[in-house]
Order: sequence, then C-alpha cells, then structure tokens
Amino acid sequence: MTRTTPAAEREGFLAWLGAPERRGPLLVAPAIAVLFVMNIFPLLWSFGLSFFNYRANRQREPDFVGLRNFERVLTDDDVWERFQTTALIVGSSVLLQLVVGFLLAMLFARQFPLRRLLMMLVLTPMMLSFVSVGVFFKLYYEPTFGLLSWFVNLFHDGSFALLATPEGALAGIILADAWMWSPFVMLLVLAGLVSVPKYLYEAAEIDRASAWRRFRTITFPYIKSLLLLAVLFRTIETFKIFDIIYIITEGGPGTATETIAVNVYRLAFQNFRTSQSTALGYIILFIVIVLTNLYLYSVNRRTQEAI
Amino acid sequence: MARRFDIGTAGWGRSALAFVVGLVYFFPVLWIILTAFKTRPDALAIPPKLFFTPTLDNFRSVFFRTSSSGDSSQATDFVLYFFNSIFIAGTAVLLAVIIGTLAAYAFSRHPLRGNDTYLFIILTTRMMPPIIVIIPIFLMFRVTGLAGGYWGILLLYTAFNIPFSIWLVKSFFDELNPEIEDAARMNGASDWRVFFGVCIPQILAGLAATFVFGLILTWNEFLFALLLTGVETRTVPVAMARTLGGEVGADYGLLAAIVTLFLIPIFFVTFLLQNQLLRGVTFGTVKK
Amino acid sequence: MSIELRGATKRYGSLTAVDAIDLDIEDGQVLCLLGPSGCGKTTTLRMIAGLERCDEGDIRIGGRRVNDLAARERDVAMSFQFYALYPSLTVAENLVFPLHAEGLSRAEIETKLAAVAQVLQLEPILERKPGQLAEGEKQRVAVGRSIIRDPTCFLFDEPLSRLDVQLRETMRGEIKEVLQGLSRPTVIVTHDQLEALTMADRIAVMRDGRIEQVDTPATVFGRPANLFVAGFIGTPQMNLLPAVLDGPGEGGRGTFRIEGGQSLSLDIGAGLAELPSGAEVVLGIRPRNLEILSEAAADSLSSTIDLIEPMGAETLAHLNDGEHDIRVVTDWRTSLAEGERVHARFPPGSTHVFHGERLLGSAGEGRA
Repeated sequence: MTRTTPAAEREGFLAWLGAPERRGPLLVAPAIAVLFVMNIFPLLWSFGLSFFNYRANRQREPDFVGLRNFERVLTDDDVWERFQTTALIVGSSVLLQLVVGFLLAMLFARQFPLRRLLMMLVLTPMMLSFVSVGVFFKLYYEPTFGLLSWFVNLFHDGSFALLATPEGALAGIILADAWMWSPFVMLLVLAGLVSVPKYLYEAAEIDRASAWRRFRTITFPYIKSLLLLAVLFRTIETFKIFDIIYIITEGGPGTATETIAVNVYRLAFQNFRTSQSTALGYIILFIVIVLTNLYLYSVNRRTQEAI
Repeated sequence: MARRFDIGTAGWGRSALAFVVGLVYFFPVLWIILTAFKTRPDALAIPPKLFFTPTLDNFRSVFFRTSSSGDSSQATDFVLYFFNSIFIAGTAVLLAVIIGTLAAYAFSRHPLRGNDTYLFIILTTRMMPPIIVIIPIFLMFRVTGLAGGYWGILLLYTAFNIPFSIWLVKSFFDELNPEIEDAARMNGASDWRVFFGVCIPQILAGLAATFVFGLILTWNEFLFALLLTGVETRTVPVAMARTLGGEVGADYGLLAAIVTLFLIPIFFVTFLLQNQLLRGVTFGTVKK
Repeated sequence: MSIELRGATKRYGSLTAVDAIDLDIEDGQVLCLLGPSGCGKTTTLRMIAGLERCDEGDIRIGGRRVNDLAARERDVAMSFQFYALYPSLTVAENLVFPLHAEGLSRAEIETKLAAVAQVLQLEPILERKPGQLAEGEKQRVAVGRSIIRDPTCFLFDEPLSRLDVQLRETMRGEIKEVLQGLSRPTVIVTHDQLEALTMADRIAVMRDGRIEQVDTPATVFGRPANLFVAGFIGTPQMNLLPAVLDGPGEGGRGTFRIEGGQSLSLDIGAGLAELPSGAEVVLGIRPRNLEILSEAAADSLSSTIDLIEPMGAETLAHLNDGEHDIRVVTDWRTSLAEGERVHARFPPGSTHVFHGERLLGSAGEGRA
C-alpha cells in the first residue's frame, strides 16, 4: 500500500536529515552500522560467552560460570608456556624483520637502474597468502624433498630435518614470517628515508659531518617513529598469526611452536571448549589493545612532529 | 633548481647488489612458479632441478579434471573460485572504500566531540584476533541464512576494510587545502558538488592506494573464508587448502599452479600502483 | 684568501645554466649575485660550495684549485635559503655542529658558542628546537652556524627571502654589521636588489647564466652597463624610451625624436658625439630624476597624468605621452590631479643613452 506523502512533510524529513549538524553523523552512519554488526556485536556476544561454559559441540544450555574460564586460563601452566613461545616467535621475527627491512630500505633509498622492477621482486613475499607460504615452506623444509635439506646436504651428510627439533621448528617459522614481512618494514623505512629533505644532507656535507653523525642527526630522527610504527604493527600482527604455524608445524614438534593463537584455535575447534577459548582470546585482545594504544600514541606523535 | 626531495642516484653497482638481494627474496616464489611447470616427479626430484622440460599439465589440471578412464575431462570449479575471489575481494574493498570515504570526510570536515575516541574504537576492531569473533559470526550467519552466500562474506570483508580505509582516507582529506573548498562554496557550489567535484579528484591517487592495500589484505584471507563460504562462494585460498588436505601426498605441482595464477592479479595491481603503496603503508603520516 | 672563477660553466643536458663566467672576490669583500630567477646565480654559488660539479673552467679558493674537491674538503660555510637547520637538535647544538669536525675542546666550543650567541642575540632561544622558532630566529641561527667557523669563505643563498618586509629591513642592517666583522670573501645570492644594494661591496648582475655587470652598487645604479641592468636595478623601474637621434644640434645639444611624434632636445656629452644622425637609441631616465612642469620646455615631453599612486613620503605618477607610460616620482606634497596635462622634464645630466643595448653616454649621478 503506497502512501502519498505530502510534499512538505517529505521535504521536512529530508531537510532534517540533510541539516548540517546531522551531516557528519549521517556520513559516518553506514560505516558504524557495518562495523557494529560485523565486529562490535559479535565481540560483545563472545565476551558474554566467555562467562559461560558454552561448548559448541554440545546441545545443552550453557551455565553461567563467571570468571572461572579466565581463572582457569590464567593459572594454566601450559598457557604460560604458550605465551613464552609466542613471545619468542614474535620477538625474534619482528627483530629480524626490523634489521633486514632496514637494510633493504637503505639499499633502495637511491635511484638506480631497474629499481622499480627489483623492488617488486622484494615485495612479492608480502603478496602471497599465508596458506601458500605455509604449504611451500613446509615443502622446502622437508627432509627428503626439500630444498633446504638438499642445500645443507652439500656441506653435511645425512638428511636435515629442520622441523624435527623444537629449535629448528621455531627457526623455520621465524624465517618464513620474517621473509614474508620484512619488505613491509622496508616500505615503511623507505618512506621515511625518502622524505628527508636533500638540503639537510647538503648542510651536513658543508659542515663536514662524519657519516655516522649524519645518520644520527638527520636520518635516524626521520625514521625513528616509522621504525616504532613498524615494530608495533608487526608485533600485533605476528601475535595473531595462526595459518602459517598451523600449516608448517601444527604447533609441533609437540607443543614447541604452539603459540597462543594456535592454542586458541585448538581449544575452539578441536577440543570444542568454546568459552574457554574465548576467554583466552579476550586476554589476547587485552594485550593487543594495550599495544594498539602505544601504536596510536606513536602515530599521533609522528603527525605532530611532522617536519 | 634540484627538487628538494630528490633521493639521489647511484650506479649499476647498486643495481647488482639489489639484483642479488631481490633474487634471494624472490627465490622461494620463483621456485613455486617453476614448480607449477614441473611434472610430478620433477617437482619432488632430488637434487632439485633448475632445468627441466616444462609442462602445462598442472595448469590444465587446475581448470579441468580428467576422469579416471582418461578420455573425458570435466571443468573444475576453479574458474568459479577465481571469480569468487576477484568478485568478493574487489566488491568488498570497493564498498569499504566508498563507505570509508564518506565517514572519513565526516571525521575530517565535520569533527565531532570525541572524534579521536571514535577513531580509536574503529581501529581496535581491526586489531583483534579473528578467533574471538568467529564463533558468534558463524552462529549469526547461520541464523540469518547468510552462511555460504555472497552477502555474508562480502559484508564481513567490507567490515574488515572499513577501519583502515577510514584512517587512510581521513589522512588524505586532512592534507587538502580547505581554501579551495571555500572558494568553490563561495562560487555557489553545493556541498555535494564540493565533495565530488573538488575533494575527491584531489585524492584519487590516495583512494587507489587504499583500494590496492585493502585488496592485498583481503585477497589472501583464509580463516573467515574457510568457515563462512559455501560451495558456490568458495574463494581460492580455501580451495587450495582443500586440495592440500585429504590427499596422501600433496600435488605440489597443482598447488604451485594455483598459487602462481593467484599471484598474478595482485602482482600486476601492485606494480601499477607501487608509488601509492608507499603512502598507504605509512598511514599517510609521511608526505612524499 | 680570495675566490676566483675563470670560465666556470655548468650544463644540465642541453641547458647551459652558467655560461663561462669570470669572477673575483677579494678577502673581506662582499659580492652579491643578483638577478631574476633562473639566471644561474644559485647554481654559481653551489659550484663554489662544491654542491654542483663545475663542467668547465676553474674555481680557485685561496689560490687553490678546488674543482675536484668535495664540499667538505673546501672548508666553506654556507647558509641555505631554507635554513637547513637540523630539526632534531636544539639551537645550541645546531650552532656547534660544524665544530665537531675540527676537534676542538669542550671549552673552546663553549666559548665560540657564547660569542656567536651574543652577536646574533640568540641567548634566549638556545635550548629551543628549530620547529619552535620564528622565521627571523631560524635565519639568525642559520647565519650563526656559518660564522661560528673560520672557513675559507662565506656563502649565503637568499638569506632574507623568507622574511617579511619589516623583518627584512632589520635583518639587512644586522647582517651587514656581521659581514663587516668577517675578513673572508663572502658571496650572497639574492633576487632582491635592495638587499644587494645595501649589503654588497660589489654587485654582479646576472642573466641567463652570464654576468651583465660587476661593479659597486653606486656604479651599477648610476651607470648601468646595458638595458637589462638599467631596467632591473631601481624601483620604480627606469623609464626606457626608444628614440631616434635627429641630428646633432648646436652647442652640444641633440634632438631625439620619440615615438609618437614628440621631440626632446638634450645635452649631448662628448661620448655621444660619434652617434650618427638617424641612430636608433633608447633613452633611460629614473622616475625620481624627472621633473614635472606646468609649462612645456625644450627638454620636456607633454603628457597626461593617468594614475597617481601615493607611496607615503613620495608619490608615483604614471604619465602618458600618447605612446608610453612614463613613471615619475615626486615629493608627496606636489599637487597632482589625474587627467591633468603636465610636462615631464629631462633635466641635464640625468638621461642615459643606450645604443645597441649598451650604455653609450651616461648622465652624472642621479638621485637614488
């Protein structure tokens, strides 16, 4: 049934809608709506869920258990071990990414023939999906067919099974992750290097500054905040990684490479301890939020300091 | 007069070094691409074969499946998966950029009280581990019938890309010179005209960067796609994982072919918009 | 310690930015490179500094050929147009930065810092960072960073161009004082003639990579070597009127026929005696040298007042003789009205005669 709206009334609503004060909120509304439905709402739901003992594979009604899930998680030694593993992987990988990324940026900070093409080559790791990287790095690490063992065999007898030992497995994962994301750090640092005004270097040349002093006084301040950004962003992301680890080592051998994220997945989809997994998930979220705050703070400082 | 931000030139020596480095980085990827052209024995050969007779069989297998008797072949659904990936990622990121641009404009030009707080909250949605929301979303989708269809995953991916779009596009808007908009308004342009005719054209490159960046992030997404797409809407990463699992020895040739094909569009788009990407990565805090 | 350029040339592809120029700057002398944008003055400065390679020719500092030396080896001090202050260092740290390469003791550095800070009045801002400074303060720090050293020469690239008019006036005087205390050759690049006229011992006027004239400010102003210099130096711009010499008259006077039909009868000095009759020349006279009369005279042009621009203590009047816009500057008290018919007189000894672009005969000193 159509209702003809008198023109004035229609105009009134549209006018109200289009008024300048409402303009801002109106434009933001679609975004907020989507985010709310897809992110905030599920977030709240699962937060609530963590206070129950919901198990996804059982049909019965979940009981309210208060903070028991959180308690259980926090007092679980295994969980702390997972945190340690996670810290180790995240720390090593991010450090490696920083160093290599920085060196790459220094390399690409000048214009030279074929620069564009070569930079694309270096950027390709980032473009692969985690699954692809996982699958093929697993192949490379394979003792019988893998490239790595073949290479090692050139110098050393016997097959080399990188993933058989905990240290090896950790190294394998760290290597894969660092390989994938050091180009990202490179991009960040490069953006900083490239934005340094040329005349500052000229002034330093006139002032007869040594290379080290030049770096310390001019270059480093420009990339300092970007490096920090890189560290925080990569830390947060590496914290969350799951696919690569799961595919390459499945958290093994044993639990040597099982990070928190993998643990959560295992809890949720293999043990079906849904609520427990969400509790753990929320602890992760808390850590991530703290890190994000730091990240935002540094971004803000960066924009204010923009020289 | 020399440009202020000239990065200076270096010679072929540096090219050589960069070539070596680039090769080292690219090598694992190169190997994948090579494997795509290898027969099964070649792919797993020890010592690893750098030179071999290439075959297109793997690529053929991606698209066609020969029946066990060997004489008839049937198209696989790979074209569908490919299409799904392109369609879903492309549409979702596009939507996100559009919605994000509107919101970014509001945050930039009509700032509200607590602007920063809203922006922070928006950003946190990006930062949380997927695991936390996957169950509720899965249940939500099942209840509303969105699971397995296009709309559900599209909406989800759009939500993924919105925070980042808003942040990035807002930084672009912030950089615009408001005097141009004022001048347009004084010439009688309505606010819509100012938005579409003055602001958007200036940040077109930035929007392109935002789009590419979002595309890269969404293209390879696996976890949510795994749980929320159905047979019709499956994306390539999921299809790849399915090819992997359930077989005794993975057919690396086939997998390599898939990865290679999947890499091409992203590689292409990145190459075209290399410069804008630099900007996107730093969230617009560095001017070039 | 002097600076010598012989045939210095700089090319960018097919463009010749600096075309075989010769320059000499003595110890303690201040030379200004003056000219419009793109004339090559900054490039020349950078060649002396070592920031640009000299393609041809020689550059000598203190008698030593420096063509193949890097900037850091030449021991020159340079103050940049955009100041180039290190953003992460405080003013004090910026000032002493060049001294690190000299291996001085802490005490020596402190002494030098104190001296410079006092001369340029930087004491209050020593702990601030460049991002917190005003333009004028930044400029003084940039200058300070140069003079804290004892280099072979001082180079300044557009030192005052980023300051507003009032600040420029103040700084001009301050810098001149500072420069007088230095005993090294100094080269200043500027596009502002007032700066050049005030601060320089000698001015080199440049155009399209070449030097048009090198002379003291007074000479450059009073005896411009060619049309370009004549039109470039002096505000308001010198009036340049194309004319034809009708024929030498009696008693050392010549009649010049101006476009539009009017004629001027002017003194011709000895230098102009060789001009053949019918020669095409350009007459140049500065606005402040023209007199406004209510009655016609032999050496005046009749014209109408088109526009009057009050300039405070003076008034700029635009006169039109039917063909040309003639600018006249008079004392503000002179009564003028737009549309009024007046006569612009070319007093004896104040007109320059240019033949074939170059100055042939010049009048004596004109008023500034």
